[in-house]
Amino acid sequence: MSQVLADSIDASGAEVSAATGAHASAWPHRHLLDTDILTWPQIELVMDTAEQMAEIVDRRRPRSEVLRGIGVTNLFYEASTRTRVSFEVAAKHLSADVVNVTAGGSSVEKGESLLDTMRTLEALGTRVLVIRHATSGAPYLVAREFGGSVINAGDGRHAHPTQALGDLYTLRRHLPGGSLLGRKVVILGDVLHSRVARSNLWTLTAAGADVWVCGPATLLRGFEAWAAAGVGGSRRFAVTTDIVAALRDADAVMALRIQQERMSSGLLPSVHEYAARFGLTSERLALAAEGCLVLHPGPMNEGVEIAPDVARGPRSLVTEQVANGVPIRMAVLSLVVSAA
Amino acid sequence: MSLTAARLVGGEVGRRVDLELGEAWLIDPASGREGPGEVVVREGILESVVWLDRGTGRGGGIVVAPGFIDLHAHLREPGGADAETIASGLDAAAHGGFTTVCAMPNTTPPIDDAAMVEAALAAAAACGSPVRLLPFGSATAGRAGERLAPLGELAAAGVAGFSDDGSPIQDAQLFRNALAYAGMVGIPLVDHPEDCTLTVGAEANDGLVATILGLRGWPGAAESNAVARDLGLLAEVSREVPGARLHLTHLSTAASLDHVRRAKAAGLPVTCDVTPHHLALTDEWLAGARRWAWEALDDDGGARNPWRDGALVAAPYDSALRVNPPLRSATDAAACGAALADGTVDAIATDHAPHTEVDKDVEFGLARPGIAGIETALGVLLEAVDAGRVSLPRVVEALTSGPASVLGPIVDGLGSLVVGAPADLVVFDRSARWTVAPGSLRTKGHGSPLLGRSLPGRVLLTLAQGRLAFEDAAPV
Repeated sequence: MSQVLADSIDASGAEVSAATGAHASAWPHRHLLDTDILTWPQIELVMDTAEQMAEIVDRRRPRSEVLRGIGVTNLFYEASTRTRVSFEVAAKHLSADVVNVTAGGSSVEKGESLLDTMRTLEALGTRVLVIRHATSGAPYLVAREFGGSVINAGDGRHAHPTQALGDLYTLRRHLPGGSLLGRKVVILGDVLHSRVARSNLWTLTAAGADVWVCGPATLLRGFEAWAAAGVGGSRRFAVTTDIVAALRDADAVMALRIQQERMSSGLLPSVHEYAARFGLTSERLALAAEGCLVLHPGPMNEGVEIAPDVARGPRSLVTEQVANGVPIRMAVLSLVVSAA
Repeated sequence: MSLTAARLVGGEVGRRVDLELGEAWLIDPASGREGPGEVVVREGILESVVWLDRGTGRGGGIVVAPGFIDLHAHLREPGGADAETIASGLDAAAHGGFTTVCAMPNTTPPIDDAAMVEAALAAAAACGSPVRLLPFGSATAGRAGERLAPLGELAAAGVAGFSDDGSPIQDAQLFRNALAYAGMVGIPLVDHPEDCTLTVGAEANDGLVATILGLRGWPGAAESNAVARDLGLLAEVSREVPGARLHLTHLSTAASLDHVRRAKAAGLPVTCDVTPHHLALTDEWLAGARRWAWEALDDDGGARNPWRDGALVAAPYDSALRVNPPLRSATDAAACGAALADGTVDAIATDHAPHTEVDKDVEFGLARPGIAGIETALGVLLEAVDAGRVSLPRVVEALTSGPASVLGPIVDGLGSLVVGAPADLVVFDRSARWTVAPGSLRTKGHGSPLLGRSLPGRVLLTLAQGRLAFEDAAPV
């Protein structure tokens, strides 16, 4: 554990020490770039830490001292509301000094390289760099050179680890016994372009879920090979275009956003046809197990990938996913700093 | 005499060389000979090559071969001097054992008229390197793929090939015309086969690695479809234009090589090359694997899964690995090796593609494609030899007489040990390893994917046109 974290734990009292200090030595990752590197005990550590953080969040005046004096910069090269705000709120709950940088309002517009921007932010005191970037792998380039911690807030199609950890956290809170072992979880929609799907594949399979990936054939490109190659931990990783087979007896469904661009690039005929064949409607949801949970990483196109009554129905965890993002990101922020 | 104990010749680059090499392992593919022998060079002329009866092992130590010929390099001059110049590129070539370098015309502006060719040749002469520069000319004006460049004028100015390389001619009619017209003037058309409708935004070989890393897939069919198109047109054109010759560069997939194998069997005038990186590196390097292609094959000839067998040892997304065509699967790399062994592949070309740090040390998907590999080619190929994937004489052939026959009469006599001619040869030590590091490379190009790696086959001496091109400055 770093001296900084040790000091801040001393200052903040026992409850945060219980949240991070006891396990900090078990957390080796200075950066969180994807979920693929996490062992199951490490994932459980994130979950446990997030539960402690949730207690802080639930107070009337949520505040912990874990990151007091630590500079956290949200460097966002892509538009984002929920993820950026979620990181900002999480960092503020931990008393960090938070700065937001968006590509539209900085030297990035003048053509400064990613590494130069990183060096500038580091010189200005950034200790934790939260980065969102349209190019897959960009956070790895930053992490190669950055002296502090890098947290991936979404890179291209590749990864969105805090989203996946939050989804797992949300599912565990609602599944009996808090376990995904043998539970059928369906990821539905534009899997090809989805960093949420990719990061979830690692965490869900690590949790032992029966993972089904379902969508139009054009948006599943490459995933059959991934399923055939297999991933550790899971008993099942199935890929199908058959939404009936996918949804039958499912315990949870995660619908993914369909972007207009998929039509213009020739991957889908029309929004209408997508909704007709793959939209998550209450009729289709009736195929699933009783009480099947519904997730969506947002923002939703209601009436396209998810029907409005499903999006706001009793099984929908969409709002809770957003709320749970805060304690998850508090947990991740405190853990990566503890390993710095 | 211990060859590594002191410099072999000494002196300045460009000076005429006197050299007596006692008992080395000689390889001369043009005459089909290899074995122990002695070489004498007097005032730059290869005075004698004596083949000895007694053995000195199977080429494990000092090896002498004809100077290597690279059919595909980017020297970036004019317009890209920060990445490479003709001077630095030829210097790097000599360090790699190459004495003849074909330079692609995708410079700024492109080499698409006689004056540009003359300027390139003048720059090569002025830089003092004895390494031969053979410029290629653009096949279409401005490399724009819309109308033919002045191919006759370019041929008269001395180009050795026509190519739009990384901006391949998409229009099949124009490609057909380029084949016919180039055939008429007796120069091969060199195609980088790529159906660009399949590669818009593509980043990595379509496969498990691209899927997991979220990189946009670059299908093998983008190459093999273009190869099939080219060969279909060649079959028709070659009936009418006896001189038509097609050379397909940096083939990277099993399907492409199968097309060429069949076309050769049918007697079509086609040749092809593969690169060292497509022989030895695979797409799993993008995920962080660092094992050679032949180590990534499973027992059935398929690619192993590096996520399952613990092969991921480096950080992913190293932009030094971004290259066009992309690094392929272990299966494709094995197909390249098999095609090299069975003669389908005529030459090994480096596609030496240096870039500046600004263009290369950026996000993977934004990095300019290209590997600066002219200095690491021999070492990588010797790794393949050491692993039993291909024989040393075959490798040397594909670096010497193979590319010489692709180029044809313009390089008459090159690629072999010709007594009485200016010495054009490379001397390397099979048993000496060297470490790839910025300080050990002559290229201005940034970021070899092999940095930090130790490679076999230290080049001790390169003689081009009877003159000193490179000598190891730090003998063991």
